[in-house]
This record gives sequence, structure tokens and C-alpha cells, in this order.
Amino acid sequence: MRRLLRCEYQKSRGRWIFLTALALTVMAAVFALRGDYEGENHLFFMENGYLMYLYQLPMVNAIFFPLLGMVVASRLCDLEHKGDNLKLLCTLAEKGRIFDAKLLYGLSITLFCVCLYWAVCLITGALLGFIGPVPWKLELMYLLFTLTPTAVIYVFQHSLSLLVKNQAVALCAGALGEFAGLFLMFLPQLQWLRRCLIWGAYGALQFVGLFGWDKDTRWANAGFELLGYDWLAFALLCLMGLGLYLLGRNLFIRKEL
Amino acid sequence: MLCKLIRAEQMKLKRSPVWLAFVILPIIPAVMGTLNYRFNIEILQSEWYSLWTQHSLFTAYFFLPVMIGIYCSYLMRMESNHHNWNRVLTAPVPRAMVYVAKLFCAVMMILLSEIWIGLLFLLSGKLVGMTAAPPLRELVIWCAFGTLGGAVMAGIQLLISLYIRSFALPVGLALAGGISGLLFLAKDLGHIWPYSLMAYGMNSNSPQELLATGYAQFVITCLVYLALIVLAGSLVIQRREL
Repeated sequence: MRRLLRCEYQKSRGRWIFLTALALTVMAAVFALRGDYEGENHLFFMENGYLMYLYQLPMVNAIFFPLLGMVVASRLCDLEHKGDNLKLLCTLAEKGRIFDAKLLYGLSITLFCVCLYWAVCLITGALLGFIGPVPWKLELMYLLFTLTPTAVIYVFQHSLSLLVKNQAVALCAGALGEFAGLFLMFLPQLQWLRRCLIWGAYGALQFVGLFGWDKDTRWANAGFELLGYDWLAFALLCLMGLGLYLLGRNLFIRKEL
Repeated sequence: MLCKLIRAEQMKLKRSPVWLAFVILPIIPAVMGTLNYRFNIEILQSEWYSLWTQHSLFTAYFFLPVMIGIYCSYLMRMESNHHNWNRVLTAPVPRAMVYVAKLFCAVMMILLSEIWIGLLFLLSGKLVGMTAAPPLRELVIWCAFGTLGGAVMAGIQLLISLYIRSFALPVGLALAGGISGLLFLAKDLGHIWPYSLMAYGMNSNSPQELLATGYAQFVITCLVYLALIVLAGSLVIQRREL
């Protein structure tokens, strides 16, 4: 496996895959963290900063991380399709191991970017002067609930990009799923749909809610509250991830090259 | 000549599944936007206008740019594969026309999506039992201006895909463009930034109001951008090495 991973690294050199992923992460961070923290609500933002991030960031994640997975998976798989490399590659190594190596390589890039984004958000919070200690338990839960949907979506994108030569198919499917996931962020009434759709998991696993905000009083009566963790959604997501991995791997092994 | 090239592009696109995404994509905001409207009917009190915001907001900012990016990447990708550029660029047709024909195909797809978005909007409004008459005149303007703004975006995406041979990278750039458009709109500069023009034309944020800068200025801005983009695309494709 180590040798296959090294091959993946060598193939992807000079293709700016990591740089592309990094650029998307920076874009996500800028989009998530920009904002006016001054003014009359300054104290409220400083006192509730970390909880506010835990409330706001899942929506940004639902926009950017599926796209990150789409782009990384497509770039890594497309380089095999372009040169008809799979024919040669599958005579040199077992098909299942090729699938795993490519998945592991792409997943490590994607998940590294997610962790980097998480760290940047925490550091930004500290630099902005959020009051109180970092709620590490909540932050780590948030990280887990961000990494898991991103990984499952990546497995889906990786399988589709490797199975279908036309990358438009994988990208369109990913964009449609992402769109549905983003809309589901605004529909907490449809929690069952959030749980069933891998892109909806960012919303299903969100555990901080905003209460008391309205158009007229704005932040005056607002507050953040913990909603509790939806372990059922998490378990379903893990099962779907496993199912997608097994399905994708088996289809790739059976695929005529 | 141009008609023949457009016909050739359409033949190349035959049986390609990409158009399906443009059909499916607007159904998602139509269903979920309508559901959201139903759930928040006490806050969203502007009837058709509130529904339009629900249908078009994320579509114009994030997802149509991504879909346009995918479509333009696909249009250029067909030539990048199997050394097809060699055949296209040695064909007895002006090279600039190749770019224009591709742009025309992309604009047609945007126009069809806008019409589909409009139809779904009317259908959703009827289904939720809107009592007021639908704003048909405004709807035509939103869709037409959305197409015009989308044409500018498609022109730029085609240029990017002409330079970058990767399929996925221009799609990422399209999303970046869509987000930059959102930021420019927030700074009241939506009428001059090419990636804001589609959302600005569709008037997703404040559909009750007419475009702040007026219709004529919007159309002129789009046409100037289109002229510049077609010129740039033609120059790039004319200087392209085989």
C-alpha cells in the first residue's frame, strides 16, 4: 500500500491538486470568518463567539467541503482516465488496492484541509478576542461531525469519478447533492431527509441552535443553545459511508477496463 | 458558417448527459424553496416575490455558476480529448467562430434553465395556493436578465477552460466566481462584476424592486462584457498552437 500511495503522490506532482484544495479551503475560511464583529453587538459576539462559529460554520461547510471532495476526487481519477492508465495500472496491482490507495490519498488531502480550516477558525476566534476558554469538547465534536460527512461524500465522489470516465457526471451529481444539502440546512423540519442524504449530514449533525433572533430586535434577545447530538444521524452516515465504499470498490473490481 | 458550427456543437453534445443536470438542478430549489416558504409563511409575506427569493437565491449565487462551469468545461473538454483541437483548428472555418458557437450553446442551455426555473416557480406558486396574480412581466425580465448575466459568466468560464485543461479546476473557479459575486453584490457593486451579473439580473435579493442601476445600464454592461470576452476568446483561440 505504501508503494501505491507513493505512486499516487508521484502521479499527482505538478498537477496542483493540493494547492487547489488549499485554495478552496482558504476561500471557505474567508467566506466563513469575514464579518463585522464591531458595533453595538460587539460584546455579544465576543461572549458567544465560539458557539456562534459552531452554529454558523456547518452551512459554510455544506457549501465548500462537498465541492472540495468533488474537485480533488475528479482531479485524481481523471489523470487515470485521460491517459487510459487504468488498463496498465490494473495489470500491475490488484484493482481493489488501487481503489483503496487512490481513496486514501485523496481522502488525506481533503481531510487535512478540513482540519486546517478548523484550526484557522479557532485561531481566528482567539485573535478576535472571544471571551472564555475554548470549548474543546464541543469543538472536537464539531470536527468529528465535519470530517465524517466530508469523508463519506468523498467516498461517493471518488467511486463515481473512478467508475464513470465522463467527469461531468460525477461533478453534476455532486453539485446536485450539495445543492440539496444546502437547502436542507434551512429545513430542520425535514430531519429524516437530512439523515438519509449524505450531503444533508452537515445540517443533521449541527448541535448548536440560534434562538430569539428576529428582523426587528436582531441580536438583542438572541442566544445560542446546545441541541444535543444526533447519534442516529451519525450512525446512519457511517453506515452509508461503508455501503458506498463497498459498492464503489466492488463495482470498480468488476468493471471492464 | 456560424449556424453550421452551432449545429456541429449540438451534434457533439448529442446523448451527452450534462443537460440533464440543468433539468434536475432547478427542481431542488423549487421543491425545497417552496417547502421553506410554506414553513416560514408568517415571515415571508410578499407572496410571489418571497417565493422567487426562495427559488433563486442559492441557485444564482452558487449552483448555476457551478453548473455553467461544468457545462463550459465539458464543451472545451470534448476538443481537448483525443487531440480534437487539431481537427477543429484545421477545419476551414474562422477560428473565432468556434468560440462563438460554443458560447452560443452555453447561452442556450442557460436560457432553457431560466425558462425551466420560471415554469417551476409558477407551478410552485399555484401549488401553494397563491391568491395574487403571478408577476409575469417581472418573471420574464428576471429570466431574460439572468440569461444575459449568465452569458457573461459562460464566456469567462469558456476562456478559463480554454486555458486550463483540467475538468474540475474551472468548476472550482466558477464557484469562487459565484462567491465573489455575492461579496460584490453585498458591497453594491453587483452591476459591474461579471460574476454578480446573473444574480443581479435575476434580482434574487429584492425582487420587489427594479434594478437599482436601471435596465439599460445592466444590458449595456452585459453587452460590453460579452464583446470583450468574445474578442479575448477569439484572440486566444486564433493564437492557439496545434
